[in-house]
Amino acid sequence: MDYSRLDPVRRSVTPIQLDLVEAFANGRITRRQFIKRASVIGLSLSSVTAVIAACSGGTPSAAPASPGASASAGASPSASAAVTGGTIRCAIQRPVSVDPVGMQDLGGYGIVAQSFEFLMGQSTDPNNPGALSPALAAEAPVPNDDGTVWTFKLNPNAKWQHDGSPLTADDVVATMERLVAAGNSGLKGVLDPGGAVATDANTVTFTLVGANGNFPYLVSIYNAQTVITPKDYVAGTTFDGRPTGTGPWKLVNYNQQTGATFERNPDWWGGQTPLDGTEFIFFDETGPMITAYQGDQVDAIVQFDVLTGAALFNDPNFTLIAQPAALHRQIWMRVDKGAFADVKVREALALTWDRPALIQQLFQGRAQIGNDHVIWEGYPYFDAAAVPQRERNVDRAKQLLSEAGAADLTATLHAGELQEIPDLAVLLKSQAAEAGITLNVEVESLNTFYGAAWCPAEPADPPCSGAADLGIVDYGHRATPDVYLNAALKSKGIWNSSQYASAEFDAAFTEFQAAVAVDAQKAACTKIETILNRDIPVGLPYFYNYLAGNSNRFTGVFSSALGQMSFATTSQVA
Amino acid sequence: MARFITRRLLLSLLTLWLLATIVFIIANVLPNDVGRTILGPFAPQESVDALNERLGTNRPLIERYIDSMVGVVTLDFGNSFVTNQPVLPTLAAAIGRSAKLAGLALVITIPIAIAAGLFAARRRDRPADRAVVLLGLTSSSIPEFVTGTILVVVVGVQLKLLPVIATPPRNADFLTELRYLLMPALAMAIVYFGYIARMTRAGTIEVLQSDYTRTATMKGLTTRQTMIRHVLRNALIPTVAVIAVQIGYLFGGIIAVERIFNYNGMGQTMLFAAQRKDIPTLTAGAIIIGIVYMLATLAADLIIAWMNPRIRLEAER
Repeated sequence: MDYSRLDPVRRSVTPIQLDLVEAFANGRITRRQFIKRASVIGLSLSSVTAVIAACSGGTPSAAPASPGASASAGASPSASAAVTGGTIRCAIQRPVSVDPVGMQDLGGYGIVAQSFEFLMGQSTDPNNPGALSPALAAEAPVPNDDGTVWTFKLNPNAKWQHDGSPLTADDVVATMERLVAAGNSGLKGVLDPGGAVATDANTVTFTLVGANGNFPYLVSIYNAQTVITPKDYVAGTTFDGRPTGTGPWKLVNYNQQTGATFERNPDWWGGQTPLDGTEFIFFDETGPMITAYQGDQVDAIVQFDVLTGAALFNDPNFTLIAQPAALHRQIWMRVDKGAFADVKVREALALTWDRPALIQQLFQGRAQIGNDHVIWEGYPYFDAAAVPQRERNVDRAKQLLSEAGAADLTATLHAGELQEIPDLAVLLKSQAAEAGITLNVEVESLNTFYGAAWCPAEPADPPCSGAADLGIVDYGHRATPDVYLNAALKSKGIWNSSQYASAEFDAAFTEFQAAVAVDAQKAACTKIETILNRDIPVGLPYFYNYLAGNSNRFTGVFSSALGQMSFATTSQVA
Repeated sequence: MARFITRRLLLSLLTLWLLATIVFIIANVLPNDVGRTILGPFAPQESVDALNERLGTNRPLIERYIDSMVGVVTLDFGNSFVTNQPVLPTLAAAIGRSAKLAGLALVITIPIAIAAGLFAARRRDRPADRAVVLLGLTSSSIPEFVTGTILVVVVGVQLKLLPVIATPPRNADFLTELRYLLMPALAMAIVYFGYIARMTRAGTIEVLQSDYTRTATMKGLTTRQTMIRHVLRNALIPTVAVIAVQIGYLFGGIIAVERIFNYNGMGQTMLFAAQRKDIPTLTAGAIIIGIVYMLATLAADLIIAWMNPRIRLEAER
């Protein structure tokens, strides 16, 4: 440990930042977790570099944060020789809506994010996929000592495309007011009306409802509706109805039926984009996206699944962007009634799963093993040592079933027609059969599944109390696990189809939400992982990768796990 | 003839009203929650209720029916529940795209299929006839999506001769547009070749066996003269009726073909709307397709009446 480099940092940082530095210095968090968390709580790049160097005795490659940073798990690798000019053609899901405040689908997110930007973007550091980097914020925000107030300095070079006027704090405040009024799911309960205040033309202070150590994520690319729009933007206005933004691309044409084209924004604060323009072609299905790529009609694909896009994995001309993400499936089991009310039965079912085999068969290995809790290994507060990995043990499963008096267990497994879920259901059925469990698989249309099996509207209190005993439901990527914990697992949560109600878990979740320091967050997550792995209200066999990609005729393509593909640094390979 | 046309038009209007009513019943009376479908399963109930209120889907049924019928008469179908954009321009663009694709498919199919049908009929029960019949049966029994997929894989992906998606780039010229549409049009043409060719063959064989054809031959007319003056006009009557039905079908959009070639014609547009319970778009789309069907049938009736004076005279009586 080089204290001569560490101590100056210790003296200069805030208490929350100091806690992070100490956690890393004492080996309680990994280097990757340290960098990711540093990007959230405003620890400067020089401090990050100094701390890593002090603790490792060398000069580290710290997290790059500029828009021109190099490749990552979310980006295609940069090539040494590149040419400027040209257009890239990108296949994307047809957007349902491009209203920045109200959009709900990946297609909308991807299109709107070409021109509009967030306070915090996603770092392109190859070692830290998922970390934040400032975008319209000039630097990472600084919290007060207890994490209830966050201050953002704005990027002074950002200008609006429609009139060239600079981005101001008033624009940010108005955007936040619109989002709060619209009930943005990320900001609900975190930021109240009037919580965002312009302290000067270039500074916005957020006073939160309570302490929140993850607030920067809620105004980042991970909360797709928080793109900053002009002060006078009217909620409900669609992007094509008022094309503007501060980002690298200017909308030229938008046709909801067919696609959108963009041209370079010469006044972008991030510099000149190598490409002249981008073209987005809308698709309703993944299959035609794949053939369009194979037929040389698109150069990039915003998202595809393993089953449909398997042909691309062995294509030497395709650069696969396989981004580890918190995307997962929850296999809920009713804890309040029926066959799964006994935890021994729930554990028995979870013990029948051959998780590595599921990952291999469903994702060709492009997923991470889950351990029946929702704390993804990419979260900085994930504790790998909290609970041992649950592994397949059919004998133990049979013993538990026998103890529970359920040796001839028969149940119906509900599954929606979505991506690999029907195949997962069939695999679970065959694996469970080895322990004597008979699962009858019911594959349903998504409307039927969501409305009748997963979370019927009636009875409404408690929510989802009309859910089936057993089913598989899909969850998208979240930068923090709050939604999974709050909605799916907390007592009376709005998506709590297992009807799990645990005072112990609720307390651990409350502790997690209020935690600001990384040690406290990790301690709370250790409890959460332990409780969920023990109680098993939901089984969680894997977290799977977000898949995107591009032709290797292009380099520097970047993708988030929420449908936002960035071509700001993309260029053609010479 | 004017009386005939007037009567057909009035019948068409009645059919249109019935169609609009049936579509309204399907869209509004069957149980569904429009707000929930649009906002998705994760939206809070209060948001769903607010959306239903804004869209007016919780108003009395009769009120909605009257609004719907007024919309049909004034061609004001309102805004899409999903995109909040006016429905008519979206559908007009979609029907335009479908028209281009259907038009090209028909331009390819009709002359070839009629020629093949005539060719086979004149060589009845000979190898050439058998070959045409077999080809027709085979082509019409393979669904469009199979033909389309094979074309995509072979012609588009492997040989890279034609684009695999049918939507041309913005501002594409006529020839480029034609190139993009050629493969899906071929997929459709292959299927309809069989129907039209077999219908033409059957009609021609029947006319060739008739007394007036025999008389024409015996009075010394050449085969060509007989075919043009006496056979074609009568033999093609059933073919014209079949083509009229196919036009309506093609304009309505062949969803499978549109999906394979990522072409946003009426089929994809209607499916997109159906999946999201976008009732205004669905209603308007069904009515527009109905109008196309009726116009095609009317045109066919007029052509048939022109081709066969007996039918014309019967209609005028």
